[in-house]
Amino acid sequence: MLFNSYSFIFGFLPTVVIGFYILGARRREWGLAWLTAASLLFYAWWRPINVLLIAPSILINYGLARALEKTGEARPAFARTILIAGIVFNLCFLGYFKYLNFAASAMNDAFGTGFVLTQLILPLGISFITFQKIAFLVDVQAGRVSRFSLADYGLFVLFFPQLIAGPIVHYREMMPQFRAAPCRYDPENVAVGISLFFFGLAKKVILADPMSPLVAPLYARAAAGGGQSMIDAWIAALGFTLQIYFDFSGYSDMALGLARFFGIKLPVNFNSPLQATSIIDFWLRWHVSLTRFLTAYIYNPMTLSLTRKRMAAGKPIFGGRNTSLPAFLSLLAMPTILTMLVSGLWHGAGYTYIVWGLLHGVLLCINHGWRLARPRIWPDTKRYNVRMAPVGFILTFLSVVAAMVMFRAPTLSATLMLWKGMIGVYGVTVPAAVFSQLGELAGWLSAVGVQPAWTSGSMLLTSTVRIGCLLVIALAMPNTLRILAAFEPALGVKPDRTPSRLVQVLTWVPDTAWAVGLAFVALAGMLSLGQLSEFLYWQF
Amino acid sequence: MTEQEYLAALSQILSDILGDDSIALTMDTVREDVGGWDSFSYINFIVAVEAEFGVKFRIADVESFPNVGAIVKAITAAPRR
Repeated sequence: MLFNSYSFIFGFLPTVVIGFYILGARRREWGLAWLTAASLLFYAWWRPINVLLIAPSILINYGLARALEKTGEARPAFARTILIAGIVFNLCFLGYFKYLNFAASAMNDAFGTGFVLTQLILPLGISFITFQKIAFLVDVQAGRVSRFSLADYGLFVLFFPQLIAGPIVHYREMMPQFRAAPCRYDPENVAVGISLFFFGLAKKVILADPMSPLVAPLYARAAAGGGQSMIDAWIAALGFTLQIYFDFSGYSDMALGLARFFGIKLPVNFNSPLQATSIIDFWLRWHVSLTRFLTAYIYNPMTLSLTRKRMAAGKPIFGGRNTSLPAFLSLLAMPTILTMLVSGLWHGAGYTYIVWGLLHGVLLCINHGWRLARPRIWPDTKRYNVRMAPVGFILTFLSVVAAMVMFRAPTLSATLMLWKGMIGVYGVTVPAAVFSQLGELAGWLSAVGVQPAWTSGSMLLTSTVRIGCLLVIALAMPNTLRILAAFEPALGVKPDRTPSRLVQVLTWVPDTAWAVGLAFVALAGMLSLGQLSEFLYWQF
Repeated sequence: MTEQEYLAALSQILSDILGDDSIALTMDTVREDVGGWDSFSYINFIVAVEAEFGVKFRIADVESFPNVGAIVKAITAAPRR
């Protein structure tokens, strides 16, 4: 069931929320059990067979976690074996559904047959669920999970607001909330929840979805081997970046809002990433819960163990400004690139995702390298930050947009076609209809090589205006976390100490003006529900 | 060593890593308080601390130190190699 469907908004959601308040007010356990059952139904909606896949996996994970808890401190070696078995089981489960076809089709490629993505048989949200389960096992082994029952664990895994596309949550941040949640009607939770949900819905259906038909033909043309005019290539790159931006931002807001109906605060997942002034900054704002997972469970253990080994061998380790190149390469560059490779593969079984991950890994390394080298070249940190922040922003923005092309383009060669287009290899054309309206300017443009072409002028105008509006929102507007900061919309979010004027003006307050405004946002969102479209992140 | 001496030593290590000499950690400092102290430089900091004091933290603890004070306590409690 899609969050952005009438059956969800008018059927499933009210039923589940009201049922939860009624049952929860009698007995908390009933409310929570109702929530688990509803989540299972939510998961089963598309293909009931999904439940047959996820249920055994939950039971096996629960059994392993119990075994881990029992052996725990007493027999650490045995506990380690159980943990590894659990991680291997989960990765195999994911691997079977997500990567087997890719491995097979990669072989096919060698024989000249095109490869087919594996989405069709992929159980929904399996990538998210798998990571969450692995994190849970590691946490149990590390003694970070105190007590848990099958009911607790089931709810933790299945909780429908974050089931399909995150945020990837930790047991230790969720379960205390479920235990403390009042499980009954609370006006603040409903008001905040409904606001977040409809902000998210509007982002998804009004801002993100209409970009899709504008960029799709451009990617199709690139995939068919057609070169694009510079303007078209940039529309493809910016258009898709903004589409996935508002799609994921909208989804994340909706997830926060839905959880809030049940008195639960999810962690921050999306925090105006296009405003980032470095690639490192970008990854602390885009899909925050994935970055957090990858850092805690892959990057940190890898770096920690590598560093200790280097130290034991008597070689210099990472020493900040005085780091040697070999130390940088082996202790920072290598783990970073490997981690981002995992991230790429996690997003999809395909060459484009792998290269996308590697590319971001390399960008992160450049960023880290510069951070270390910069103080020697430009020692005045304060001045540097003020002067270079705009440069950092532009470089980051261009890198992210260029890399996003790879996320959308079906093949690496299509990506290359678009990149070449973006730097003007295939020239610059303007639709003839627009060209003829330019008057004297047309002559100037011809002089620098701009050609008229028989492409759609109205399409160009629509794309440009839409991209312009979305860019302003993404780059200049405070996000929902800031607007609702006073009500802790996501775990740990606090109001700004010195809010900007724009934030002050837009701060959410439960008054009539906001109620009317939100009603319009909700109405506009629901009237745009016409064609259902899946969230881009649901395919991962 | 006193708490203050530990904090001074940790501040020095972090200053070196972040290239920012104005850092002064307290027992209550959390990562978000220090500009540029992201998750990536955090692990470098931890390993540098391990090297400086000859201790070895558990990876689980590394992930869950709530603030700088917890790191100081872990150093004093950890077995010396």
